[in-house]
Amino acid sequence: MRTFVAVAVFGGGIVHATVGPALRIADVAPDIPLIVVVLLALRRGPEFGCGAGFVAGLLQDAASGGLLGVQALTKALIGFTIGSLGGRLRVSQPLVQVPGLVLLTVAEGLARFALLKLFRFPAPFGELMTYVVLPQALYNGFLGAALVLALTWAESVRERTS
Amino acid sequence: MKIRAIVLLGTVAGVCLLLLTLQMRGHTAIASDALAIVTTPVQSALSRVNRAAVGVWSTYRDWKNVRAENRRLRDEAQQLRIDALRVTETIEENARLRRLLALKEAMPLATLSGEIIAREWGGWVRSLTVNRGRSDQVTRLTAVIAPDGLIGRVVDVRPGASIVQVLTDPASTVGAHVVRTRTQGIVEGEPRGTMRFKYMARDGSGIQVGDLLVSTGSGGLFPRGLPIGRVRAIDDRGSALFHYAQLTPAVDFARIDEVLLIVGEGSQDVAGLFPGGGI
Repeated sequence: MRTFVAVAVFGGGIVHATVGPALRIADVAPDIPLIVVVLLALRRGPEFGCGAGFVAGLLQDAASGGLLGVQALTKALIGFTIGSLGGRLRVSQPLVQVPGLVLLTVAEGLARFALLKLFRFPAPFGELMTYVVLPQALYNGFLGAALVLALTWAESVRERTS
Repeated sequence: MKIRAIVLLGTVAGVCLLLLTLQMRGHTAIASDALAIVTTPVQSALSRVNRAAVGVWSTYRDWKNVRAENRRLRDEAQQLRIDALRVTETIEENARLRRLLALKEAMPLATLSGEIIAREWGGWVRSLTVNRGRSDQVTRLTAVIAPDGLIGRVVDVRPGASIVQVLTDPASTVGAHVVRTRTQGIVEGEPRGTMRFKYMARDGSGIQVGDLLVSTGSGGLFPRGLPIGRVRAIDDRGSALFHYAQLTPAVDFARIDEVLLIVGEGSQDVAGLFPGGGI
């Protein structure tokens, strides 16, 4: 299990920079590590979500050449929040998963923008939201829901065979 | 549990803010180097796996089409298709490398060839990772070019890799001028993945769609005359001090696989090496 988690967190961060561009649709790429962090936080709680978010975000920062620590902090916050709320959320339905991941991506984008603004990031807010954050949020929503459905199906197959 | 979780969150936030503060004060090398030792080999390996997977997928798709068209000749057609794909891929790669070699030999400055092993295309940062790093004498702000023109500059150097900020990155700015009118200005990246030319209105009245822009060479960062892009549309802002022109990049950053890093110093005009303006 630990190996799986390490591969998921580490793989999520590195795969995002290396393989992520291949998943682009109309120049929009999904934030795979964010989806992985949310799924892990829902299953393992706030401490794990926070740690996984930190590691995945740090690796993403390192792979992209951006400021180290920006995505590490925002993803740690997302992991912690989702891990804390996990028990109270009904996340088994795609009707909850898609808007949930959309909102989380937007929240992460806002947190990232606020943090980067502190360090003199030059891009305008409106354009970032229109061309980067919102399209990516939609993509994350559908990709994340598909991933959850696939995991649920895989688990049910495993239970039937064991 | 809650106190432990909150302490963990506080520690993580503290570490992140400390990292950010250290970077803003110029102490970036230790942390990024340590991470690069782990991430660079994995990125290289995944890049190879990714290319192989894409190749296998396109081959499979072609095979399906051939099978539907003619079941009796399925096996033969599949083999021919695979062979044709391999040959086409080899020819295209050969042509790309020949162009790169020709440019490398013609350049009056010392250059180093590199291969793209990762791309960050999220919009916040638009960068390429090249498999050349500190061990190859690459330094920060090294100019990176392709046979079609300028790609960008190295913003982070690691032991075995470098991060290249491409011209469409929102934080990228390059001094440029229009070849036909000599109008000076600045080429800026935009979050949507495009770039624009910002110039003084009274000087730029003669700019037309299709005009070629090249680097000015001022500041010594890039050689003079490197193609940057062509004017796609002009945003006339009336009596405003600055006007803007939307540009089509000379280089297709999403498709480039091999690059040259200019490691030598000099201010030569290299415009003659890009006769078609790169586009």
